[in-house]
Amino acid sequence: MQPLLELRNLTVAFDTEAGEIRPVQDVSLSVYPGQTVALVGESGCGKSVTALSILRLIPSPPGKVLGGQILFEGQDLLPRSEKQMQAVRGKDIAMIFQEPMTSLNPVFTVGEQIVEAVQLHQRVGTKQAYEIAEQSMHDVGIADPHKRLHEYPHRLSGGMRQRIMIAMALSCRPKLLIADEPTTALDVTIQAQILELLRELQHERGMAVMLITHDLGVVAENADAVAVMYASRLVECAAVDDLFDSPQHPYTEGLFRAIPRLGQVHERLQTIAGSVPSPRRFPSGCKFHPRCPRMNADPLCAGQEPPLREITPRHWAACHKIDNFAAKPITPPNTDSRRPAEVSR
Amino acid sequence: MSQDTPLLRVRDLKTYFPIKRGVLSRTVGWIKAVDGVSFDIQPGKTLGLVGESGCGKTTVGRSILRLIPSTSGDVSYKGQDFLAYRGEKLRRLRSRMQIIFQDPIGSLNPRMRIGNIIGEPIEVHGIARGEEKRKRVASLLHRVGLDENDAAKYPHEFSGGQRQRIGIARAIALSPDFIVCDEPVSALDVSIQSQILNLLADLRAERNIAYLFIAHNLAVVEHFSDEVAVMYLGRIVEKADARELYANPKHPYTTALLSAVPEPDPRRKRDRIVLGGEVPSPADPPAGCPFHPRCQLTREAAAKGAADPSATVSVVQRGLGGTISLRVLDFDGVRDVESGGETFRVLAKCAAQTPPLEAKNGKPGHVAACWVTE
Repeated sequence: MQPLLELRNLTVAFDTEAGEIRPVQDVSLSVYPGQTVALVGESGCGKSVTALSILRLIPSPPGKVLGGQILFEGQDLLPRSEKQMQAVRGKDIAMIFQEPMTSLNPVFTVGEQIVEAVQLHQRVGTKQAYEIAEQSMHDVGIADPHKRLHEYPHRLSGGMRQRIMIAMALSCRPKLLIADEPTTALDVTIQAQILELLRELQHERGMAVMLITHDLGVVAENADAVAVMYASRLVECAAVDDLFDSPQHPYTEGLFRAIPRLGQVHERLQTIAGSVPSPRRFPSGCKFHPRCPRMNADPLCAGQEPPLREITPRHWAACHKIDNFAAKPITPPNTDSRRPAEVSR
Repeated sequence: MSQDTPLLRVRDLKTYFPIKRGVLSRTVGWIKAVDGVSFDIQPGKTLGLVGESGCGKTTVGRSILRLIPSTSGDVSYKGQDFLAYRGEKLRRLRSRMQIIFQDPIGSLNPRMRIGNIIGEPIEVHGIARGEEKRKRVASLLHRVGLDENDAAKYPHEFSGGQRQRIGIARAIALSPDFIVCDEPVSALDVSIQSQILNLLADLRAERNIAYLFIAHNLAVVEHFSDEVAVMYLGRIVEKADARELYANPKHPYTTALLSAVPEPDPRRKRDRIVLGGEVPSPADPPAGCPFHPRCQLTREAAAKGAADPSATVSVVQRGLGGTISLRVLDFDGVRDVESGGETFRVLAKCAAQTPPLEAKNGKPGHVAACWVTE
């Protein structure tokens, strides 16, 4: 099966006063139709920049894609003109953001904003566009959509606004939805509502989702495959069960140990020493080496960036300290570890 | 101090904010942010306070420290009425009670060096000055995992986790025995959260500090607290020993909150109670039990009780392992209420009368405010 979206060795740079920084380096990743791939990492790891570059939404200058390819249905998006990209955004690939308040325009009603998105991509009259808008608000579980169409964003709660964003994103039936921390600003009970809604809509429509999050609970419950980023690079990639059962990279392993879990009482949490490096001051070699419990002052770790290698079938990791690491094949990570039937579960 | 006098005793605390309208700013109503909250905290113990945004948990912490004036209620510290203190006596007591904020950037003055941020309370409270103060600051920095040379730096030179360490150093500078921790780790990266939680736990053990630990992350609160109170619309709806609350919840809101937490284990997908609707506005809370418009249990009880008024039924709490026994006591009919655009049938009692916080079938000290569980 051909991936819907494929990133090949994507590298993104920003010019800053302190010189060039590279928040995304050599990232390869694929998303198959109907699949949910989670992109996980902490602040500054490059996960949001990766997502924005797919839609070519990074401000340029100062940002630029230094190298690599972004293939959507086999076609590279990078050489496309701005006008051609506008036809892709919202139509084939839609995006929702963490902060639903700032993503909506306060001076237009929610109906007007959904209608604008609809009319950008579909040749329909105003009346019909309003009907589509009302239907998509109904689809995302908004009660009394006919009345709500004429409300302004400030009248709606955070959960309601995120539903409007989803309605707008899905109004043109995209093939891929990029959801950047879609529930981080919401309370847990509202988060549960929104995630369930996304799952239902995804199964109904066979849409693929790229879910960007730092919450491993959200990943475990929603993703089919997971890519872990640390300091601009992909450090691990596997099917969700594989990743949670046997994390290979010391960073992933450390993250799993550091989170407190309901019902499991530990006197003391395990920690990852040190702090997340800033893109201005990435360490040499493996970017995790200053915090790594496996390193034991190995000059290889400090001196050489480990490539992603396929450690076990369909489980990739980038760490010199895995047994026989150098003997494993270097292949681009591939998330198609499930049969399509399993994906549509 | 005997077990009978807790370090901190809070009784029927209420904090209302006026809603003002018009040119004359007349008060047209009240937002009951905190509406009758009571609890005790023993020395060296931690009470976790959980709830969703707007439930009043932050206001409780600030009202106790008198950062926000409370409307009524009592707060006593070691048996003395804290709310009655004025002037010098208040200032001295304040040094015993400190706060750590969520936002480690916004709570540190960007123009002050770290040494002054931590050293200022030491000097203001007349504990030390000059070289002695510098030594104390150095030892505090060392204790929270920073370097003494960091005293000369400014807040922007630190990462989020390090800034939270500075906030902690400032809070413990006066050797307090009570600290309000208001979402101390929610702004931090996952790999940093556990470092800060461990530091707070070590300080608790070393210095016998009691915490009021306010957070929305239930797993963090369970891990960190001895006792947990769940708030909904300005009230405590359930309070119990931390393990007990998670193993044997008695309030339907608690069960819904627990089941909403995504489990970091892909093989343990659990049945989820997805609550309909949203938290109502505290300016206009529902009559009766504040939770009744979203409550699944009262709907089930109404359906079963209407068929047989003497029925006692039990419900398996999906995904949590336990059962909640429903009692349908003095069944006095049902009522239709609207919630989230739909109409539901609930017990008339839930819609009409506020349930008291009362002991339930569980460990001693387990209380919940619900008409239908036992």
